[in-house]
Amino acid sequence: MTATVAAPVQVRSGAPDTVHLTFVRVLRSELIKLLTLRSTWWSIIVVAVVSVGLSALIAASIGASAPDLPGAELARQVPTAVIAPIQFTMLLAGALGAIAVTGEYSTGMIRSTLTAQPRRGAILAAKALVVAVVLAVVSLVVFLVALLPVMAILHTAAFPAGDPGHTLQPILFAVLAMAVFAVLGLSFGFILRNGPGAVAATVGLLFVLPIVGAIFPAEGSWGWVHDAAAYLPMSAAQSLTVPAGTDGALSVPVALITLGCWVAAGLLGSWAVLRTRDA
Amino acid sequence: MITAERLTKRFGTKTAVDDVSFTVQPGKVTGFLGPNGAGKSTTMRMIVGLDRPTSGAVSVNGSQYTAMRAPLREVGVLLDAKAVHTGRTARNHLRAMAATHGIPSRRVDEVIELTGIGSVARKRAGKFSLGMGQRLGVAAALLGDPQTLILDEPVNGLDPEGVRWVRQFVRHAAGEGRTVLLSSHLMSEMSQTADHVIVLGRGKVLADAPLPDLVRAWTTATVRVRSPRTADLAGILAGPAVEITATEPGLLTVTGLGAARIGDTAAEHGIPLHELTQTTGSLEDAYMALTEQSVEYKTKEIA
Repeated sequence: MTATVAAPVQVRSGAPDTVHLTFVRVLRSELIKLLTLRSTWWSIIVVAVVSVGLSALIAASIGASAPDLPGAELARQVPTAVIAPIQFTMLLAGALGAIAVTGEYSTGMIRSTLTAQPRRGAILAAKALVVAVVLAVVSLVVFLVALLPVMAILHTAAFPAGDPGHTLQPILFAVLAMAVFAVLGLSFGFILRNGPGAVAATVGLLFVLPIVGAIFPAEGSWGWVHDAAAYLPMSAAQSLTVPAGTDGALSVPVALITLGCWVAAGLLGSWAVLRTRDA
Repeated sequence: MITAERLTKRFGTKTAVDDVSFTVQPGKVTGFLGPNGAGKSTTMRMIVGLDRPTSGAVSVNGSQYTAMRAPLREVGVLLDAKAVHTGRTARNHLRAMAATHGIPSRRVDEVIELTGIGSVARKRAGKFSLGMGQRLGVAAALLGDPQTLILDEPVNGLDPEGVRWVRQFVRHAAGEGRTVLLSSHLMSEMSQTADHVIVLGRGKVLADAPLPDLVRAWTTATVRVRSPRTADLAGILAGPAVEITATEPGLLTVTGLGAARIGDTAAEHGIPLHELTQTTGSLEDAYMALTEQSVEYKTKEIA
């Protein structure tokens, strides 16, 4: 029997031609994903409460320990009080970044993500950008809110007339640092794919290693460990937020380059893993 | 059309998919069968770029999935129902998926409606039953109204109504000229749904044929004959290529002769017949015969 089988007509998708991938759309998708998880909002709330609360306490302690500081000196203490809590909130930023990725691996969501956008570099870039921007915006708002109790407690203006950048610059650098910490957490998430592991690695890098570095003496044959510790992410961030010329601090350009290198290293490591390992 | 050419995937020393080539034609439902560990899921994952082939290539309508400009519009894929974040609501999951392609929220509501998950769309996916999760997976696959559907075990966990819905849905999609590749362990379901079957075993293609051809080639047709004079009938029918078994008093099962021959012979000899039923083997029989050698995790015969 010979039968001529007519090839079925290939159906076109009913979706309009405007339906296709763009990087901006992938960014939007990642933003929806981040903001539709309760864990994100809990992290943000905890960051806000811890940050503003600690800033107020620090301001109160500054006011109590030096009641007779001249106004200009007090104004100098404002950014210190506002920014100091990042030593703790950085861990939440890192954890939020890590969980944004590992939550997808543990639930299998990553397979949906990578079938919607199979170019993995684009997913990495979009996720990193969204996490960084969200953390930056949250941190900026939180720091600005923290200014209010700090100013009230210290009875001073936040932006001294002679030097308005004095407060703003450290705060902006702290905002940048929070975004960097979140991206480092996200990188550990991509590299390890496991929530507890990625959070532990983030805490280790941000919190534990600086302590280890501080144990070693600055002088002597082991001094290089102490020196090297200045290039850890948290130490570089601190160099940006302390007054210029503080002992042991990196210069602003060096500190910025250092943070940039950490981000680059994290993203490159993520990309290498994402590209080569099956999802 | 899905085209796999010499597709191979190794995990360490284990070869999950071994030099597999096939094409899945549009306008048909192609069933993907095989025991656990045969390489079906791995093959499906390679089609959509989740697993990278060790060698060989696979394309959908001539393009590699990872190079597509609008993958959701080309291919709808349901790999497993658990490809959803448990903390996100169904609707938000679909919104996030749709956003990557600029698919309007109107379409999100459409697929929610179509798959019947409207009542749970605002609940978190972690609370979903297996069946609801499966429907959410199908909804995600339909977002871009794709011309190719790849569904791994879509009826797994569905209630009878859901099973029927999937069957009608994929039949309809194939009727419209879409390409449908469907895997399932439920043979009876597959025999009602598929036009064409590809059977994998231990990472190799064991069969790739239209479903009726496959069943005919791998099963034997038998005829059930009921008569008050089975002993006489058996004597007359006996021949070199004929196998007759008396299953119970008054009932014979005959292999090697057609129902027409048996009926005519009985009439010639005046033997009354109370039943004459031609039975062809089932897809399940064919599948069992085919995969006997390649079942990786074989169950011990119960003594």
